[in-house]
Amino acid sequence: MRSFTQNFFVLNLLLSAVLAIPLGLADAALYFKAGENTVRFFSLLGFRWDLAAEALEAVLETFVISLFGVALGGLVALPVAFMASPLVAPPRFSWAVRWVSSAVRSIPAVLWAVFFVILVGPGPAAGALALALYTSTYLVKLFYEALEAVERELYDSLRAIGLRGPPLAAVLFTHVKRQVVSHVLFMLEYNVRTATILGFVGAGGVGYYILQYLSILDYAAVTTYVVATVVFVVAIDAVSYLLRRRI
Amino acid sequence: MLTLKKTVPSFSVGNTSSCLAAGEVIADVALEVKHVFFGYDSTDLLRGVSLEVRRGEAVAVMGRSGAGKSTLLKICAGLLKPRSGAVKVLGREVGNRCFESVRPRIAYIPQTLGIVSGASALYNVLLGRAAICPLRFVAGLWSRRDVEEALEALRAVGLGDKAEMVVDKLSGGERQRVAIARALFQEASVIYADEPVSNLDINTATEVMKLLMEFRRRGAAVVAVLHDQDLAFEFFDRVYMLSGGVLKEL
Repeated sequence: MRSFTQNFFVLNLLLSAVLAIPLGLADAALYFKAGENTVRFFSLLGFRWDLAAEALEAVLETFVISLFGVALGGLVALPVAFMASPLVAPPRFSWAVRWVSSAVRSIPAVLWAVFFVILVGPGPAAGALALALYTSTYLVKLFYEALEAVERELYDSLRAIGLRGPPLAAVLFTHVKRQVVSHVLFMLEYNVRTATILGFVGAGGVGYYILQYLSILDYAAVTTYVVATVVFVVAIDAVSYLLRRRI
Repeated sequence: MLTLKKTVPSFSVGNTSSCLAAGEVIADVALEVKHVFFGYDSTDLLRGVSLEVRRGEAVAVMGRSGAGKSTLLKICAGLLKPRSGAVKVLGREVGNRCFESVRPRIAYIPQTLGIVSGASALYNVLLGRAAICPLRFVAGLWSRRDVEEALEALRAVGLGDKAEMVVDKLSGGERQRVAIARALFQEASVIYADEPVSNLDINTATEVMKLLMEFRRRGAAVVAVLHDQDLAFEFFDRVYMLSGGVLKEL
């Protein structure tokens, strides 16, 4: 009898092998061509120190967009999550709120960025608004799931003394504050990654510059921006990890 | 060893402090359960349970796991609706709108997990009056008097020096005492305790029971679900056995 680990391994191996055929990944010629391209690509790479300050500025703009997204998104998500929780709001109403939130969340942030570029024009404002909207719907889900995980005994002891509505929500939210902070930090990490590509659709941040240099095949400049982004994202992840460990 | 100091907050029924005007208590019978039937599925877990508890009385309910003890307590606290029968708490019928007005006078102390983690002991005590002053509670605007009374309640259960401590750092017995301090601060007239000492060692359990009995001494009704027969007969006025959905006095 095979263990779950063995079954997991075998199933993934079979799926990868079978699905590789229609995707054209089973053709050996593909890998020879990829090898040649890789060598050519790396020969074009470099690092442009003259663009370092500009790259840092772009990365900082990306961070501001991400942070704004988390701040405004969290602000909106707090009351909406209460409304989406049947522990606090009438069940039918809470399901309706969940449905709307889920519908908004099903559209990727980059598409919302396109939408906001149309509304407010190209630039970081569009990216910030897109991320705020997307973050809010994501945090709504994470928050109401955290509220639902509250121990029944605590909920009962609070309901028994007559707590309901916003005061009940405020207490339950305090109870799950560790998860809340963890989710907010997770969204900040997520936003920083997402914000790097929002520039591809004109919504500000480092992606805009990467796209510009890609279009003129200046791979050294692209490398400079990518390195700055990677260093920054890794730093954000590290700080976030340390903060999560402390809560 | 815990000692209840003389400065325990006033516990008189109908206290007229601004916060406690709501939920005025008028009935002498604190809890009245009449022919209650209840079941989670088509079968009846409780079959015509009746019980009357007067103010100043302490009643223990015992029985096997799954007998419906906690369910009965939840019905009494208005957390579950009986299939048939009636429950009155402090003269107000559970399920009626007017029942909500006496909820702030009810304390429900579960086995564990009845307190808000990540918050201080003082916060947990203060929320005992959150239902009376919801806006003040949400805004965190407590009067000096409320804070002082909450601290007094914590001192009464021997946790005066741990008021600002996050409850997660307290022991199981200390957490139960925080829940009791909340009930004290609440000036509860009916205390439901669902296996309040089942996770505690015998010494701590005895201390917690003594604290619970302080409510009885002050005129409140105490209804507790217990597994320990010795504790039940030592501390409670009446002991009931719930078996086969029927409540019988031992």
